[in-house]
Amino acid sequence: MVNKQTYAEAVKNLPNPGLGLGLRSKHFNHILEHNPAVDWFEVISENFMDSGGRPRHVLRQLADRYPVVMHGVSLSIGSTDPLNIEYLSKLRTLAEEVNPLWISDHLCWTGVNSLNTHDLLPVVLNDESLKHICNRINQIQDFLQRPVVFENPSTYLTFKQSTINEWDFLRYMTEETGCGLLLDVNNVYVSGFNNDFDPVHYIHQLPHDRIVQMHIAGHQHCGNYIIDTHDRKVVQDVWKLFNSAWQLTGGVATLLEWDSQIPEFEEYHAELLKAKKYMNTLSTFKDEETAPLYNEAVVSNPVDFLVSDIMG
Amino acid sequence: MEPNNFSLIQLQNWMQGMLIESEVNDDPGVQQQVNNIVNSSKRLSAVRHLDIYRQSYIARLRACMQNQFGALAYSLGKDLFELFADQYLEANPSNSYSLNTLGEKFPAFLEATRPDAQQREIWPDFMIELAGFEYALSAIFDEQAVENDNKPTNDTPDGGLKLAPVFYLFHHRFPICNYYLEFCQNKKPELPLEQESFCVVTRSNYKLGLFPIRGAQYYFLESMKKGKSVAEAADELIGKFNFNRNEFGAIWPEWRRSFIASGFFCR
Ligand SMILES: [Fe+2]
Repeated sequence: MVNKQTYAEAVKNLPNPGLGLGLRSKHFNHILEHNPAVDWFEVISENFMDSGGRPRHVLRQLADRYPVVMHGVSLSIGSTDPLNIEYLSKLRTLAEEVNPLWISDHLCWTGVNSLNTHDLLPVVLNDESLKHICNRINQIQDFLQRPVVFENPSTYLTFKQSTINEWDFLRYMTEETGCGLLLDVNNVYVSGFNNDFDPVHYIHQLPHDRIVQMHIAGHQHCGNYIIDTHDRKVVQDVWKLFNSAWQLTGGVATLLEWDSQIPEFEEYHAELLKAKKYMNTLSTFKDEETAPLYNEAVVSNPVDFLVSDIMG
Repeated sequence: MEPNNFSLIQLQNWMQGMLIESEVNDDPGVQQQVNNIVNSSKRLSAVRHLDIYRQSYIARLRACMQNQFGALAYSLGKDLFELFADQYLEANPSNSYSLNTLGEKFPAFLEATRPDAQQREIWPDFMIELAGFEYALSAIFDEQAVENDNKPTNDTPDGGLKLAPVFYLFHHRFPICNYYLEFCQNKKPELPLEQESFCVVTRSNYKLGLFPIRGAQYYFLESMKKGKSVAEAADELIGKFNFNRNEFGAIWPEWRRSFIASGFFCR
């Protein structure tokens, strides 16, 4: 087993590539033709690991032109199923091909008994699950020969059996395994509203030196709860949280997620670039309050964009 | 389950069951279970918290099915498609890290659960064929293949013509390919009548090509797919249909031109 200190060091040395966008099939042609001035791209690992067609072909070209980060949704670190070695092998093969800056996934479980709900389900936050998860992180990092970065998911419930705050749980994970963190500020906001905690407090409690990346995204407010829809612009409150997180971390790689009702590339990029004005100053926060936007179908963690757009 | 006396495995099995099984209802026993396991919050009861996951689970996967079977969803209409998709997902929950194979068993499921089991109707046959075609397209789109850009020219002799590496033939009872193409072009096709049809699906430059062809062309290309040369495939076709060799000789240059233009051949 590699010393966790080695992974912790590796995390400390990860670069800050700047402002990035998620790679979506809808934008393949635009990116290949125009080489837009995006600092880096985040790719959903599962979208490419089995592809022998256009997605993989596009990714190969893109990885030559831009720094790439691999972001996964099926590692299922919290699951009580055995680790899926086939999945991990394909992840490793893809990483060898793409040479990502880092590999990330979520603090969640996606299924048991070999099923996959394709959701990022909440983990019980107690000693038993912490031990279980850290154990698995150690094995995975050794298998991949690199640290893995874990994201706080948006959550819609908490368990009676949980005894540890999520921010502490994440910190213990980094201490026990040397892994890195991906702070999704929108998820903190969504989970905080849904589960009655203060998102500002949450962000202050995290181990800031372990955070290598941030996510920002839009969500849908449904009155009594918020759904993390990734289908619209970022709200002001989330930009404010982003600003705090930027100060606390000293600035890390930042990515705008947009997975449903995906706009044209230019609009997507323009929304990302707003992050620049929310990095240092709070004076611009008054200017634009986004009007609430309601969709008929509200889906958390939409994944239909992961299905290949075969005639695109 | 009582709080605090169940393991992580039990908890995950319980929660997954609550998401995947639509049968879970509002009976007080289930509600009590949820209350024992999940916290309520300022605004929501424990049951409402869990319901967010339950509703998103099916909506999320339904949307994937809709993406993978876009023409079928159009053809069946939203409500009927959702009904079939929901039943399918309940009977075949995903067991893969990938969503690309989510609909793999959908055509067979539609066949096994056809609504006209008592008295056969025609439209389910069309839907089943269409579903199979759409799934096949998604598999061809992403299959591992070394494409060959070496296109033949007018001077390439017949003996130098090979089928392109990604080349599939389809034979349908309904005009599936035309229907699918019209759907993609937003032409809002109507439910077609039964009519035998043939098509070729290729992939070149990582893009799919769909080409309706004639029956004789299908049998000719099928021979080539089995490894026959142009001359051998021509002999088989002439033998099979009792064609006049001169007739074939007259039509071949035209076939050859259009096959080359459509990317069926490489060198
Ligand atoms: Fe995220």
